[in-house]
Amino acid sequence: MKKYLSVFKISFQQEFVYRLNFIMWRVRNVLQIFLIFFLWDTIFSDPGRVVFGYDRAKILTYIFGLAIMKAIVTSSRTIDVAGEISDGKLSNYLLKPVNYFKYWFTRDVASKSLNLIFAVFEVTILYFILKPPFFFQPNPLLLVLFLTSLLSGVLLYFFLLFIFDMFAMWYPEQGWGPIFFLFIFVEFLGGGLFPLDILPAAIQKGLYLTPFPYLYFIPLQIYLGKLGIIESLWATLVAGVWILVLGFTLKKLWQAGLAVYKSEGR
Amino acid sequence: MDRAIIVDHLVKNFEVVERKEGLLGAISSVISPKKKIVHALQDLSFSIQPGELVGFIGPNGAGKTTTLKILSGLLYPTSGFTQVLEFDPWERRNEFLKQISLVMGQKNQLWWDLPAIETFELNRAIYEIPKREYNESLKELVGLLDVEKFLHIQVRRLSLGQRMRLELIAALLHKPKILFLDEPTIGLDLIAQKTLREFIYDYNKKYQATILLTSHNMDDVVDLARRVIVIDEGRILFDGVLEELVSRYAKEKIIKVYLSKEDDIKRIETIGKVKRLAFPQVILSVPRSTVAIAAAELLQNFPIEDLTIEEPPIEEIIRKVFKGETRPKNVSK
Repeated sequence: MKKYLSVFKISFQQEFVYRLNFIMWRVRNVLQIFLIFFLWDTIFSDPGRVVFGYDRAKILTYIFGLAIMKAIVTSSRTIDVAGEISDGKLSNYLLKPVNYFKYWFTRDVASKSLNLIFAVFEVTILYFILKPPFFFQPNPLLLVLFLTSLLSGVLLYFFLLFIFDMFAMWYPEQGWGPIFFLFIFVEFLGGGLFPLDILPAAIQKGLYLTPFPYLYFIPLQIYLGKLGIIESLWATLVAGVWILVLGFTLKKLWQAGLAVYKSEGR
Repeated sequence: MDRAIIVDHLVKNFEVVERKEGLLGAISSVISPKKKIVHALQDLSFSIQPGELVGFIGPNGAGKTTTLKILSGLLYPTSGFTQVLEFDPWERRNEFLKQISLVMGQKNQLWWDLPAIETFELNRAIYEIPKREYNESLKELVGLLDVEKFLHIQVRRLSLGQRMRLELIAALLHKPKILFLDEPTIGLDLIAQKTLREFIYDYNKKYQATILLTSHNMDDVVDLARRVIVIDEGRILFDGVLEELVSRYAKEKIIKVYLSKEDDIKRIETIGKVKRLAFPQVILSVPRSTVAIAAAELLQNFPIEDLTIEEPPIEEIIRKVFKGETRPKNVSK
């Protein structure tokens, strides 16, 4: 455990080296919130208007919630794994008594902590500028379920990204392509652009069988009280099954990948 | 444990896709990739005793680095048996990894954006080195390699030589029993090379560490290794003590003479092959068996001020081995 505490510390330091990159990344996030906020604010300019079952207060809470969710779930350094595999840097870790998955998960946690601190700060400021109506979930059980689903989202994203990184073991030069592909799925099907429940019911049903809605959308729905206790528990279970399936897939891919790993360039 | 490293009939093949040059070539290799099997190692067998320092020599692409990577658990062998400290390297058990280190002169493990001391601290945690032991080793290594003043500077701002010394510290903090060094002196100036060589020599002596070293720099090999393994195209051409390599492959010896006054060079040519002539120095190459007679003749018939008999440069011998001028009849084990 102490190993990973050191990994956490050094990752945090590393993030600080690229301060400007980090700040610009945050600025981009703030601008994105502004953009989406004004888009929906215009749609809901008539206060009594309800679109797709969302009124002004709910949609704006969704957007603000999304900003925090993204900081927690998708802030990740694990995208670098494909690069490490293709340029052979992975060798450095294979040579050491360290678990590569735990190592990257720790680096993710460091990145998430830093992003979360900034996201909370930004959202607070934006809250005072934009003065959106905000919804606080009072039910402690739902809050616990929300936190559980949030953790599931983090793990799911970690496994998904790592699985797509594994592509680089077989095709070192093509490591990035599949990851961009994944990003599109995460953004659309995860509810990063619009709440998924505005889609036709049939599509939604199919979508809930994939792991993507459990990244942002479902945790936010639980928080907003749009899912009942039973439905929330069911969603948590589905996410749990996906975690097991993806974890197992990753393990198998990792073992097969190492057997063909060429340790190039080193 | 009587042998630290055992390699038996080791084979490693790589599958590579050949790419043709140019844009059309790139497109055609996407549409119909031409795959080729590269036989990096073909039936390699050797073993190394604990505490031995062995030089691994061979031209580019001979399979040296591939062997080191298999022995440190990075690559999966196609077939054959390997054992290091009684472990199968491929399993990469923590107890195994804690006892080995692989240093590659070309690449680094130090965190590029942070001072080296941060990587050292991280390694301390990863290798679970007790604080006191860590402080002692660090102090000793920093002193020996004289890098005190670079510890707190971002690695990216250091020169290659400074970085290489720090790399070595990062690789040795956990006091590995087995050390794989791949071109450790590549790109270093002469002084840095010497420092590094002396350090490797001392480390081997002090900790009884088993060291397998590859290098194109023959000084590294001559200074450090008593035993050498020469490999080419994935096969062992020679395995034995350095002197034996010399006596087996160097059919000739070198006589260097300093003449006290200019003499008839034509006459000298009857004694041996003149390799270089720059008055007063003449360098001759003569068959090993007749070197004593040749020297006596020179001393008797020429105005000689000084005469030395030497082995030909090791590079030349190795070159001959690779060129196949003198293929070995039997490979000693």
